[in-house]
Amino acid sequence: MDERKTVLLIDDDEVFVDAVSAVLETRYRISTAGNGTEGLARVHEAAPDLIVLDVMMDHLSEGFDVARTLRTDPATAAIPIIMLTGVDQVYNVRMEVDESWVPCDRYLEKPVSPEELLAHVAELIGK
Amino acid sequence: MAESRFAFIFAPELRERLLWFIKLRWLAVAGLVAASMVGPRIGMQSVWPSLFLVALFVAGYNLFFLNVFRVAEEHGQPYGNLRSCAIRQMVMDLLSLVVTVHFSGGLQSPLLPVFAFHMAIGTIMIATRIMYVLAAATSLGLLGLYMAEGKGLLAVHPVDPTRGMCGRACDLNLVALTVALFGIVYLTDSVTSRFKKRNIELYRTTGKLQERTTELQCLLDEIAELEQRKSHYMRISAHQLRSPLGTVQTTLSVLAKGYVDPASERGRRLLAGAIERVDGLLAIVNDLLELAKIREGRGRAPWSQSINVNQLLADIMDALEPLAAQQSVELVPDFEGVSILEWGIPPDLVNAFENLVQNAIKYSHQGGVVTVRLRATETSARVQVVDRGIGIPEAFRDQVLLEFVRAPNAKRHAPEGTGLGLAIVREVFEAHGGSVNVESEEGAGSTFTVELPLHFTPPEARKSLQLGNGSGYRPQTERAGGRPE
Repeated sequence: MDERKTVLLIDDDEVFVDAVSAVLETRYRISTAGNGTEGLARVHEAAPDLIVLDVMMDHLSEGFDVARTLRTDPATAAIPIIMLTGVDQVYNVRMEVDESWVPCDRYLEKPVSPEELLAHVAELIGK
Repeated sequence: MAESRFAFIFAPELRERLLWFIKLRWLAVAGLVAASMVGPRIGMQSVWPSLFLVALFVAGYNLFFLNVFRVAEEHGQPYGNLRSCAIRQMVMDLLSLVVTVHFSGGLQSPLLPVFAFHMAIGTIMIATRIMYVLAAATSLGLLGLYMAEGKGLLAVHPVDPTRGMCGRACDLNLVALTVALFGIVYLTDSVTSRFKKRNIELYRTTGKLQERTTELQCLLDEIAELEQRKSHYMRISAHQLRSPLGTVQTTLSVLAKGYVDPASERGRRLLAGAIERVDGLLAIVNDLLELAKIREGRGRAPWSQSINVNQLLADIMDALEPLAAQQSVELVPDFEGVSILEWGIPPDLVNAFENLVQNAIKYSHQGGVVTVRLRATETSARVQVVDRGIGIPEAFRDQVLLEFVRAPNAKRHAPEGTGLGLAIVREVFEAHGGSVNVESEEGAGSTFTVELPLHFTPPEARKSLQLGNGSGYRPQTERAGGRPE
C-alpha cells in the first residue's frame, strides 16, 4: 500500500498537468482531472490530501465554483486547496464580486516553478 | 428683424428692465401725489384732486402689471409677452401723462419734459419702430388736447392764471416737443442698437465657442474611451499569451531541472506539448498582427473594384471541398442573383468568408451539411453560412465575434484555435461597411449572416490607384499557423 499522500491536479491544460505531475510525483501520489466536473468526481474517488486547482477552465471562474462546492461539503471542506491562475486578479470575475472569501489556502499565479509548487504543497501537507 | 430672432438673448434683460420700470413708476406716483398737494399752495388749483386721482390710477395699473408679471414669472416669460406687456405699460403711462399735462397747464405744463424720459426708456425696452408710432401718437394726442382746450371743449388749467393763455409759445412748444420726442427715440436707438448688435455678436461667438467646447469634450471622451479599450485589449492579449507561455516555462523547467529525462518518453511528450503551445502562441501573435493591420488599414492588399461575390464564394467552396470531404461534410451552394461589390479587398474577403466556411465545416458533425447562401439585393449582398453542427451556447452567442472568446464546446471539439478568427472576420466585413451576425442553438447548428453594401467606397479606395478586377480570385487554402475559428 502506497503510504504517500495524494495530490489531485485539476487543470484543463494537459501539458501543464503532465509537467506538474512529474514534479509532484517525486513525493506524492498524483491524480488528475481535466475539468471541474471530472475533478469533483475524482475528489470522492481518490480522497486527495490536497488539491491543486486551475481557476480558468471551461468557464472563467470554474475553479472557484469547484472550490466553493468542496468547501461547503463537510466531507471535503478540510482538504487544502492551492489555486492556480493564468490571469491576474483584476480579470478574475469572482474575485471582483466576492473578494472577501477566496475559498482556498494558497492563490498562485502561473507560471509556477516546480520548487515553488513543491514548497507550498509541503507546507500544507508535509513532505 | 435680428432683434426678434435673438429675442431669447434680450428676454432676461427686458425682464429686468420691466421690473425696474415698475419700480420707477412708484416714484412717479409719489411725485403725482406730492404735486397734487403742493400745486394748490403755489396757485395751481387745478391739480387737486385731479393729479391725485391720476396718481391713484397709475398706482392701480402698476399694481395690476406687477401682479401680471409675477403670475407670468411662475410660468416662464416668453420674450413676446414681455414686450407686449412693456408696450401696454408705455401706452398707459403716456395716457396718464397726457391727462396730467392737461391738468397741470396743457402745453405750458412743467411736466412736458417727462415725455422725453418715457421715449428714452421705451426705446431701450421696446422696438424702435413701435416707439416712433408712440411718439407720433403722443404728439397727436397733445395736439388734440391743445385744440380741444383752444376750442373750449376742455377746460383750460393754466399754470399761472394771472398770465392767461400761452398762444404762440404753446404752438412752438408742441412743435419743439414733437421734434424732441422723435429725436430722442432716434438718438436712444442709435446708441442702444450698437449694444444690441454687440450682444448678438457676443451671443453668436459664445454659441460657437460652446459648440467647439462640446465637440472637443466629445472628442476627449472618445479618446479616453479608445485609450481604455486599447489598454483593456492589450491586457487581454497579454494574458492570452501568458497562459501558454506559463505552461511552456513550467514544462521546460521541469525538463531542465531533471525532474524528467528529456530523452524519455515522457520527456519527449512534454517537449512536444511545449512545442504545441509555442505554435499556438505564434498563431495568436500572427492573428493579432493581422487584426492590427486590418484596423490600421495599413499593409493591406489594395482595394479593387467590381468584386463578384458569387465567384468569390464559388472559388472558396471549391477550395474547401477537400476539407469538407475529409470530414464527410456536404458543401451546398444556394445562390440567388449576382452581387457585385463596387469596392473591396479580395484577399481579405476571401480570408473572412473562408474562415466562416472552414468554421462551419470544423464544427459540423460527420455527415453534416454546410450551406453557403447568397441573396443579392439591389443594395447589398447577404451571405449566410449555415451549419447543423455543435452550435454556440447561449451565454457565448453575443461574444463569439469578440477577441479571444471561445465557447467550451468549441474548445472540446477543436482544441486548437486562437479565438481571434471571428474577430478578424468581423473586422474585415466592418472595413467593407458591412456587418456579421450570428444566430445559433447549442447542438443544432449556427448561421452566420454577412451583410455587405454593394456601394461602399472606403476612404483608402479613393486614393488607391490600382484598379484591379477582383473576381476570379484564387482563395488561399493553407496558411501558416492555420486560423481555425
